[in-house]
Amino acid sequence: MRDPYSVLGVDPQASDEQIKKAYRELARKYHPDNYQNNPLADLAEEKMKEINEAYESITKQRAGGGRGPQNAPGGYQQRAASQNPTYIRVRELLNAGDLGTAERLLNEVQQRDGEWYFLKGGLAYRLGWMDEAMQNLAVAVQMDPQNLEYRQALASLQQRGGGYRPYGYVNTVDGLDCCTSLLCLNCLCGGGHC
Amino acid sequence: MFGYVRPLRAELRCRDFDLYQGTYCGLCRCLGRRCGPLAPATLTFDCTFLALLLWELEEELSLCAGRCRANPLRKRSMCCENPALEWAADTNLMLAWWKLQDTAADDGLWEGMPARALGLALEPAYRRAAERHPDFDASLRENLSCLARLEEEGCPSIDRAADPFARLLQSAVPPEHSQARVLRQLLYHLGRWIYLLDAQDDLEEDRQAGRYNPVTARYGPQGDDEALGLLLDLCLEQMGAAFQLGEYGQRRVLLENILYLGLPLVQRAVLDGSWARMKKEKIWRNSP
Repeated sequence: MRDPYSVLGVDPQASDEQIKKAYRELARKYHPDNYQNNPLADLAEEKMKEINEAYESITKQRAGGGRGPQNAPGGYQQRAASQNPTYIRVRELLNAGDLGTAERLLNEVQQRDGEWYFLKGGLAYRLGWMDEAMQNLAVAVQMDPQNLEYRQALASLQQRGGGYRPYGYVNTVDGLDCCTSLLCLNCLCGGGHC
Repeated sequence: MFGYVRPLRAELRCRDFDLYQGTYCGLCRCLGRRCGPLAPATLTFDCTFLALLLWELEEELSLCAGRCRANPLRKRSMCCENPALEWAADTNLMLAWWKLQDTAADDGLWEGMPARALGLALEPAYRRAAERHPDFDASLRENLSCLARLEEEGCPSIDRAADPFARLLQSAVPPEHSQARVLRQLLYHLGRWIYLLDAQDDLEEDRQAGRYNPVTARYGPQGDDEALGLLLDLCLEQMGAAFQLGEYGQRRVLLENILYLGLPLVQRAVLDGSWARMKKEKIWRNSP
């Protein structure tokens, strides 16, 4: 295993507080919520595991210092149980990243209910086709308005400003209008020594 | 390509600015050396980003002095040649060549003359670059013909229309790259973002010329800034999520500036119509 301190990006002499802070920032970055249904979710999970282990081993080393890791990954993709065997299979395929087979199975289904549109939306999302993902999820919600899973999936797409941003980049641009920043570009560049 | 992918200068640290300019100038020189004296005319900010992104971690970053091509009296420090720079230079030339073909076809016999002439002049360079990267060349041809087919059909799905260009950009990651998986995901969404933004930018022009436009095909003749803005934001979010899974060494801060500040700024400029003015501004004045 890599040196736990370098995994967290801190100095071995760092205080418990600094280590906790670094751990929290990394946990925020690789949190499963940021990678739900993302084709790179497995990489994020690996990273999360790595930092959890590093944090755990540091806190163990420093006997009496701090708690164990919070936010252990895994189990985040718990989905509502499906009745239809085709849909169960499609969910498995989507989780495994076999999009071609999932699509073929879905297209063979004749009776298209809310879950069909939900899964079709999930497939589009995995492909990065966000417009079709939203359209299909909207149909799923329309057909089955009581279903929390469908509603949550649609809402998570329609919410703006989701996703992790490093410190210093949170809404920085929103405070600037284009003219001001253009002006800054000009002033700074006018010096000629850049 | 389009020049959408640029840093926000006001928020750059000096050393990151030097790194950006060194890469830009290095890429320019590399283009000249590999693809002939006309090739630097096709240099883009987009491919400067590509060079920075594809840089392998173990590759040393070294600057050397050189003369600027645009103004030979000026000395510049520029990145020495390395595989990422060479790859980005070839990619830059190949993308620019196809863009010229596209412009020539769109602008008609007379107006398209300059683009056609430059395209002809660069054709031997394109052929040499294509020989060096047959897979990328094949992906370019396949995806562009797929795109042309979708445009001809008047494809109503904005996602389907954006897919070929996104795949095309995705294939700009060398298959043997150590972070290929992460970078391919990032570039897919960057390609999507560029394609959608360009469509929005061309809305008026396409309407007058009666050409297909994916935004019009999906949202009607006036477009829908709100809905498109959301799609673009989702592209940025996916890019960010992919980016955070990679390692970039000393280039991280510069790349984050481009992804989290530069792209959103350009996106808002295109949506509110101020982009036409902004794109004419150089990132640096008094310099190449």
